[in-house]
Amino acid sequence: MRPPTSPGATPPGSTPPGSAPHRSTLPGTAPPGSTRLARAALALYPPSWRARYGDEVRALLDDSGGGPSAVASVAWRAVPAWICPPRHLHDRPARMRSSLATALAAWSMLTGLGLVFAQLTQLQGFTAPGHPEVRWAYAVFDVSLALSALVAGFGGLPLWLLMLRRAWRERRPRDMVYLLLPLIAPAAYLAALIVTIKLLGRANGVGPWWFLVVALAGFAAAAAAAAGPGLALRRLQPRGPALRVAAAAAGVAAAVMAVAAAAIVVAVVGLCLWEHHFAGYHHGTLPGVYLALVVAATTVTTVSAARGTRAALAEP
Amino acid sequence: MTDRLDRWADPPLLVLASLAGEPKHGYAITQDVAETMGVRLSAGTLYAVIARLEARGLIEPLETDDRRRPYRITMAGAQALAQQSERMSKVASVARERLSTSLGWAGA
Repeated sequence: MRPPTSPGATPPGSTPPGSAPHRSTLPGTAPPGSTRLARAALALYPPSWRARYGDEVRALLDDSGGGPSAVASVAWRAVPAWICPPRHLHDRPARMRSSLATALAAWSMLTGLGLVFAQLTQLQGFTAPGHPEVRWAYAVFDVSLALSALVAGFGGLPLWLLMLRRAWRERRPRDMVYLLLPLIAPAAYLAALIVTIKLLGRANGVGPWWFLVVALAGFAAAAAAAAGPGLALRRLQPRGPALRVAAAAAGVAAAVMAVAAAAIVVAVVGLCLWEHHFAGYHHGTLPGVYLALVVAATTVTTVSAARGTRAALAEP
Repeated sequence: MTDRLDRWADPPLLVLASLAGEPKHGYAITQDVAETMGVRLSAGTLYAVIARLEARGLIEPLETDDRRRPYRITMAGAQALAQQSERMSKVASVARERLSTSLGWAGA
C-alpha cells in the first residue's frame, strides 16, 4: 500500500532520503563495551524476532552508540517480545510442527514411564487394602492412557498418511523410514523382548538387571518411534488442515495423558505411604526419581501440545 | 531536549509522525523524533514500536541491501495518525483556551 502523505517516498529498491546513515552527525559516544553488551542483549529475543529485526537493531546501536540505557532498553523489551510476539512474525505451521515434534517425544517418554509403572505396580498386583485410591488410580491410568493413545493415533493419522504419500511420491526413502519408525521400532522391540524372555526368563520373569536393560531398550525404542515423525515433520514441512487436526489432537491427547500422570502420582505416593514394604517402595529415592521424571515429561508434553493447539486454533 | 513530561507522547505516534514526512530507517527516526519532537527513543523501544506498527499494517518496510532498512507509513497508518492528530489538536485547543481564560496565559 502506498502512503498518501509521504511525498518523499521512494519505490522499493531505491534509497529513500532518510535512509542514509547519520554516523557523521552523531557518532556513537558510548564505550564499545556497552555497545557490545547491548548487541549481546539481542540474544534475549525470540529467534523469529532476531531474524527479522536483529541486524537493524545492531545497525542502530552502531550508529547511535550503546550505553547502559541502550542495554537496559534492549534487554527489557525482550520480555514483551516473548510474551506477546508480533503477529506478522508468527509462523503458525512452523510452530505447530515444532510443538508436535516436541510433544510427541515427551508423550512417548511419558507413555514409557506409564508402562513401567503398570509393570511394577498393577501387573504385580500391588494394592493398598483399606485405601481404594490406589485401585482407582490404576483404573484412571488405564482409561486415560488408552484414550490418549487413541486420540493421538487418530488425530495424527491423516498427517502421517499425507507425509507418507508425499515421501513415496517424491521418492524420499529416508523420510519413508522416518515415518515408518513408529511401526518398526515398537515391533523390533517387542520381537527382541519376546526372544529375551524366552532365552533368559524364569518362572517369575527376568531378573532385575535384565529388567533394567529391557526397560532402557523400551525407552530407546519409544525415542526412535517419536523421533522419526519429528524428523519427517522438519524435513517435509507439511501445512494445511491435517497439520492443524494433528496439533489440536495433540492438545487433547496431552491433557488426557496429564490425567494418567496424575493417576501415576496418586498410586505411587499411595503405595509409598501405605504399602511401603513392597519392593522399591521401602525408601523414597527410586519413587522420587521416577515421579520427577513423570512430572518433567508431563510438563513438556502439555506445554508443547498447548502451544501447538493454540497455533492450530488461532485466526489465520 | 528530552523531558519526562512526555508520557502522553506515545512512541508509536511519534514514529508514525516521523514517517509521515518520508521513509526513514531506525537511526533516522530516532534523530528526527529527538530533533523535532524532543523525545529520545531508545533502540529497544523503537524496535518494539516498529514491530507493533508493522504487525498492524500501519508501516511497511522497504527493500534494502543495507542493514539499515527504511520504513514508510501506509494508508492505514496515515489514517490512524490523522485521527489521533485530530484528537490531540482538540485537546491542545481546549487546553490553550482554558489556560488563556483562567490564567491569562498567552502561549509559549
